[in-house]
Amino acid sequence: MPSDEPAREAAIDGAAPPPPRAADAVLECRDLHHRYLGRFPALAGVDLTVARGERVALLGANGCGKSTLLKVLDGLLFADRGSYQAFGQAVTEDHLEDEQFSRGFRSRIGFIFQNSDAQVFSPTVRDELAFGPLNMGLAQESVEARVADTLAMLEIEELADRAPYQLSGGQKKRVAIASVLVMNPEVLLFDEPTAALDPRTQQWLMELIVELGRAGKTIVLATHDLDSLHLLADRCQVFGEDHTILAEGRPGDVLGDRELLLAANLVHDHPHLHASEVPHHRHVHDAGHHHAPPG
Amino acid sequence: MTTRTVPSGRVAPDWLVQSEVGLCPCGCIGKRKKGSFLAKTLDGASHLLRQAMSSEDVAGQPGLLQRLDARVKLVTLVGLLVVAAFVRTIPVLIGVYALTIVLAWASRLSIAFFVKRVWLFVPIFTGIVVLPATLNLITPGTIVVPLGTWFGHQLGVTSEGLHGAAIIVMRVAVSISLVVLLTLTTPWNRLLAGLRALFVPKMFVLVLGMAYRYLFYLLGSVSDMYTARKSRTVRTDTEVASGRRFVAASAGALFGKAHAMSEEVYLAMVSRGYNGDTRTLRPARLSGLDGLWVAACLGLGLLVIGCDRAFG
Repeated sequence: MPSDEPAREAAIDGAAPPPPRAADAVLECRDLHHRYLGRFPALAGVDLTVARGERVALLGANGCGKSTLLKVLDGLLFADRGSYQAFGQAVTEDHLEDEQFSRGFRSRIGFIFQNSDAQVFSPTVRDELAFGPLNMGLAQESVEARVADTLAMLEIEELADRAPYQLSGGQKKRVAIASVLVMNPEVLLFDEPTAALDPRTQQWLMELIVELGRAGKTIVLATHDLDSLHLLADRCQVFGEDHTILAEGRPGDVLGDRELLLAANLVHDHPHLHASEVPHHRHVHDAGHHHAPPG
Repeated sequence: MTTRTVPSGRVAPDWLVQSEVGLCPCGCIGKRKKGSFLAKTLDGASHLLRQAMSSEDVAGQPGLLQRLDARVKLVTLVGLLVVAAFVRTIPVLIGVYALTIVLAWASRLSIAFFVKRVWLFVPIFTGIVVLPATLNLITPGTIVVPLGTWFGHQLGVTSEGLHGAAIIVMRVAVSISLVVLLTLTTPWNRLLAGLRALFVPKMFVLVLGMAYRYLFYLLGSVSDMYTARKSRTVRTDTEVASGRRFVAASAGALFGKAHAMSEEVYLAMVSRGYNGDTRTLRPARLSGLDGLWVAACLGLGLLVIGCDRAFG
């Protein structure tokens, strides 16, 4: 993907990535506002531009609006105010009622939900993987071939005829990812991908996200896991607890700004007990609870 | 209330930083009580989960019936059920029953488990129903077991009544055996998919499959809720009223949970292009073994009907 190479190289060199040009943008949100039931704010004037092949992390504390934004990006939820364009076309409830537009949009954007139980709903893993391609209108032979390839790629062939309730949490996550990858979307949205997974599955998933990024997929992921940020993202958008975007930048810059992380409730700062003594100085805990002097 | 400042700056009440006395210091053991209806019901639910898991394992074994296509199995076993319903002679029914045991053996099922599963239900559902039919009041004939007199009439079990009861019991035993063979050797998801061979609409099969899938999810939630309650229950949990309150409260919570889950599942379906049309994978092609099985079942059906005519 030539368009994202300068950004990736700049990130490796340590220079600030250039902001995505409008021509490169695959997803573009302007001044998004959303309130659940008209009362509970979730988005309060959010702007986001994602370039082709870019990996963007949405950072923020619980309930700050990350998942809501992902649902808006996937056309599952519609903002009360503001605009959203995907692949240069406005995404509205009205447009998604158009069968051709809907099919094109759904096949180009894949969403991996945080709760795999909601995403793995078919009687067997094989049926689960076939669900998306069949809805895209692919021929049976093509669907069968894609399902077999995806099962092999994610090393879950032995799960093909299993029922979802027979799977562990990690296996369900693999199946959920496979059920989206089988549709070969250009953009992948991950909601808290590493949450509630064992360390081995977390590592596997991080490596997969890195590989998908290398393969040219555009990735937007919501997380509050700071440990793996430098691996998973080229750029971060930090949500404040007031549902606005507090800051934007490279993972290194964001992680280095302690005041920003404290303001976003991504790290905590408090005095604590050392053996039987209460120290007079303050400590900062980062996401891994490594004690560090305040920045 | 006495308070103490903890390092975080929050204030903890005094009782929270003192340890509670749990067991009696003398180590004596209290009076034992049996568990409540609630515990038994939820134990039953978790037993059901375990049983479903183990039956899926059995259905995955490489036995004769497991190798057959679910549609073929469903249609042929329903056909054999109809044939069994027409049989009127006991020796033929015993022969068909013996055949179901052979099939269970060929499908690597535990014979003891198979026989027990069938004969546990037969006396309950059939024995009670046919018992009055053995009496001369219902089925007149030669009394073989006299039971005394009733309003001046002789009362007893007749040979004709016993014969009729035996036919019904054997028919039920054969029918249950065929159904147990089908359910034990076919995973539920394939069985549901096989329903399409009986012209059940695709949408109905899809909804049924999802209902079965989320039944386990909700059963797990109920078990978790009860375990959480049990872990905080200090006194023996035998009070019926509190059990009823828990059932009502958890039913409400579960309803909310099911509603939230259904919304999320729908979004996950829409996200992958669902627009109301049900599309499913084309079922696998039938094998030579399936063809042989259909032929064998047809032959068996004709043989059973022929023998029944000959004996009858």
